[in-house]
Amino acid sequence: MEVNQETIQHLAELSNFALSESESAGLQSNIQEILTYISELNQLDTEGIEPTYQVFEMENIWRPDEIMKQDASPDELLSLTETVEKHQIKVPKVL
Amino acid sequence: MTKEYLPTIGIECHVQLCTKTKLFSEVDNDARLKEPNSCVSPVDYALPGMLPRLNSEAIRLSVLAGFALNAEINLESRFDRKHYFYPDLPKGYQITQMYHPIIGAGYVELPSGQKVRIEHAHLEEDAGKLSHEASYSLVDLNRAGTPLVEIVSQPDMHSAAEAREYTKELWRVMTYAGVTFGDLYNGNMRFDVNISVAETGSDQLGTRTEVKNLNSFRNVERVVEYEVKRQIELLEKGEKVIQETRGWNDATGETTGQRSKEEAADYRYMPEPDIPPVRLTEAEINEMRAEFPKMPKDYRADLTTVIGAGQTETLLDYQPLVQKLDELGDTKAVKKIANLFSSVLLAEENTSLLNDELPSKEQLLELVRMNDNKELSSTATKEVFLKFFDPEMHYKDTLTIAKELGVLQENDLGALEAIVDAVLAQPATKQAQDDFRSGQEKVLGFLVGQVMKESKGKANPSAVQDILRKKLQ
Repeated sequence: MEVNQETIQHLAELSNFALSESESAGLQSNIQEILTYISELNQLDTEGIEPTYQVFEMENIWRPDEIMKQDASPDELLSLTETVEKHQIKVPKVL
Repeated sequence: MTKEYLPTIGIECHVQLCTKTKLFSEVDNDARLKEPNSCVSPVDYALPGMLPRLNSEAIRLSVLAGFALNAEINLESRFDRKHYFYPDLPKGYQITQMYHPIIGAGYVELPSGQKVRIEHAHLEEDAGKLSHEASYSLVDLNRAGTPLVEIVSQPDMHSAAEAREYTKELWRVMTYAGVTFGDLYNGNMRFDVNISVAETGSDQLGTRTEVKNLNSFRNVERVVEYEVKRQIELLEKGEKVIQETRGWNDATGETTGQRSKEEAADYRYMPEPDIPPVRLTEAEINEMRAEFPKMPKDYRADLTTVIGAGQTETLLDYQPLVQKLDELGDTKAVKKIANLFSSVLLAEENTSLLNDELPSKEQLLELVRMNDNKELSSTATKEVFLKFFDPEMHYKDTLTIAKELGVLQENDLGALEAIVDAVLAQPATKQAQDDFRSGQEKVLGFLVGQVMKESKGKANPSAVQDILRKKLQ
């Protein structure tokens, strides 16, 4: 797959990143290299093979429905964010 | 000449499951009346290295939701990541079931008997709640990670009324199954409605629009009415319907186009490696099915023949009431008690009683028997019925309550005759007696009234009338 500036811009948009032109150019070659390296896998015939969900062959790993004390309190968690208002996380306008 | 158009409607519904904890973290899932960001864990904040831990109860409730949808339960289900960048979900992706949902194809049967097919339903996590201020937005993550079952219908509905009926019946079956609190005001069920119109007879569907996040049956109906009209007007003008997400404005009753980034969504689904597949056995599913409660359609079949369709549909909104009627077992009792439910419990001033424990089957059957035997007048029957909800009276049997209220009707003919004789012996009634004998029917009412007064209201008026007629011949 060929990575062009359009691909990079699309990815940046999906990730909500603002990229400078030089960053964008650098990423283009970086990602192109990674994809070329990974594309070796394309030689394998995967026709009719289900994507691998996990490699440990585990099933039904679940927990009882009980409230447990967390390692970090709600206030500690909230204090990790940059700006708090009305006990909420303040973010740039999204709508 | 005007063309005829056929609307086609499909609905996706998000149902919040009533688990104690969230889908992937062990914090309180009930954030009603709680401070924003108070029901949160490091998992909900997506702190580095945090791993989701699947809530087994969400799996159990999903299976029950599947039964309610008359759907096949997929023995194996898996989770996937749906990527999108938005502040309501700090991970940058939502864990959902794209390829292997837990609930397969099913249907919902509407009161009319029409079946709306369900394409599938899957388990996923809810996102946080955003509120928008003038120049910024605020994020509350209490809801992030609440388990949701998303139910995807086939486009089987063709009118606003059908869409409303479907959403209402869906609410009923989900609450009857006990998988959700079904509190629409608090967003326990939210509807995304897809609407298109096509010329009648056309073998192709028109271009559809989607209106998301509706939280009442009424609004679903209004949205469909509005969109169908809008789309037909566009087509009549020779214009095209644009495929888009539209927002509903409750105040104006209109939908407006929303140019959102989501239109060009690229979710890059991938298998969720942090959650191993869920595999259920036939035996486990059968075990759960054995305990599955009756659904509205099961009650509907029995009740409609006894109390009619209208009253049945009203009462079906209250699962405990139809359960209680079902318990009574006797057609005549069902009729009387259904009427008491409708006229007393559903009367506006009494609706708070619906939160209380209902009277026992024994109390109700005795009430019906006493009313049949004229030991209780219809007014007294209502009075006693209301006392069943009085915490002081709740545990007492019907006869005891009636006695304490002093509303038992006097039916003992001997005792009644004695009272009638006493009244007739009063000089004050002499004139009336003469009038009646000379053919003035209506003074009988006066005499009955005197006897009622003498009996302190406990005499059975029709028995009194009979005795008076005999005595005044």
